[in-house]
Amino acid sequence: MAFTPYDWQQTLRQKADYVEDRLREGSPVVGLSCHEGVLLVTVRRAQQQKIFEIYDKLAFAGLGNQADLETIRQIAVDFAHAEGFARSPQDVSIQRVVGVALSPAMKRSFSDPLRLPLVVRGLFAQVGDSPERDLFYLLNYDGEFSLGYHFGVAAGTESAREAMERVLSGLSKKMPKRDAALETALEAWAVGRREASSESETDWRAVLAEALKTGIVEAALLERSSPRERRFRFLSEDELRPLLPR
Amino acid sequence: MPDQLSISHGDFAKLLEAYGVRVPIFEPPRPDSLVGAHGTTVIAVKFDRGVLNIADRRATAGNVIFYEEAEKILKLDDETLIAIAGSYATAFEAVRFLQHSFKYYARSQLQEMSLEGKLSEVSRVLSRALPGALQGIGGFLPIVSAFDKEKNEGRIFFYDVMGARFESREFGAAGSGAERIRGAFEYIVRTKGPFRKMKLEEALRETLLLLEIAASLDTATGGIRQYLPLAKTVTAEGVSNVPEEILRSIQKTLLRE
Repeated sequence: MAFTPYDWQQTLRQKADYVEDRLREGSPVVGLSCHEGVLLVTVRRAQQQKIFEIYDKLAFAGLGNQADLETIRQIAVDFAHAEGFARSPQDVSIQRVVGVALSPAMKRSFSDPLRLPLVVRGLFAQVGDSPERDLFYLLNYDGEFSLGYHFGVAAGTESAREAMERVLSGLSKKMPKRDAALETALEAWAVGRREASSESETDWRAVLAEALKTGIVEAALLERSSPRERRFRFLSEDELRPLLPR
Repeated sequence: MPDQLSISHGDFAKLLEAYGVRVPIFEPPRPDSLVGAHGTTVIAVKFDRGVLNIADRRATAGNVIFYEEAEKILKLDDETLIAIAGSYATAFEAVRFLQHSFKYYARSQLQEMSLEGKLSEVSRVLSRALPGALQGIGGFLPIVSAFDKEKNEGRIFFYDVMGARFESREFGAAGSGAERIRGAFEYIVRTKGPFRKMKLEEALRETLLLLEIAASLDTATGGIRQYLPLAKTVTAEGVSNVPEEILRSIQKTLLRE
């Protein structure tokens, strides 16, 4: 099979449209720095985990096709552990995992006309010694990535992402405690959901309550300082309940 | 991209092979190897809430005291301790391997490795490091302590150099000093009752005294006089350090007696 430059461009565009179409309805994920560490928050259907531990100070959350999330996750976990052992855990950084291990491979895969594109938009987070050193990388299905501080968002559409970032930027400068951060993250999630589905409901709590009829809140914390080796943990129902709409 | 999908199924050794990362302790040793640093006496005993591990801080190389602040009790993960006697280089590398192996399994498979799985992984590491041990280079003996949440009790496992695993009812000890005090463990159990009924302070007192006896019979064991030994526990709440003040006060009483 031969490809002219025109075919090739056309293919990429079609692929991008195909992916964007499938991401549009996806449940956004929010990452936010807080005093205690880095929070990752989303709402998911009961059986689909969307937030994952990658390495000692690294976590990943994303939306898209479950199998494609799994592909990204496994490459990241494999790379991080092989590197962490071969060198040291301090040498495993978000920049290496996303920029070196994932991004070029995803770009290659995306521009290969004979391959199905990955349907995935991922958010990587790295907890630092202080909140200013927390890092968020947004990784797109075509391998492009961008760095953010204080918070990060992966959403189905550009406008949803912008709306969510507006909510988060208000709080993030003050360096909130965990529960305040969690509430803002839930608000951002609801705002993103509303934006993507062009709902008329204006109260974010109502949007969230509606979503929780079929879904559950998934929230994880990468602790900034902990006597434990594993700093990543999911927040329990007891920890979440006070912040959720009844 | 999809053909890069992990095929390791959580097996860390396979992952390293695929990435071309060498694990020196799994390779045949060079015949001209030097005498490396050795750790000596490590003790694990049960107490009423879990398992206590205690070790002197001395590392020796031949008849040289190499280091007096060696750490021979290490965390394998938040629920498991390993105490090591023998070649320091091999043991440390093995512990690093095991720590990564447990974390890798849990993170890649999205479930924790079972206690049984962890214990077998220790066996596999020992048997893969066997060629070195057979030549008298790099053998080491681990004692693994864990809290079994299903049985709600602390458990102690020890290994031979080939990787055979044994479970101990009350206590385990390894290293050159340990051989000299084995009988004393028996004596304590028969005269004072089982370790697993003791409070932490009582178990600490007995084991610190045992360590001091080992030091008086074995030059390679540091004892408790000059450097404070290392003590860690594993209980239902996980691994924690015994605070230095507690160790120091027991050390003082014992040395006065």
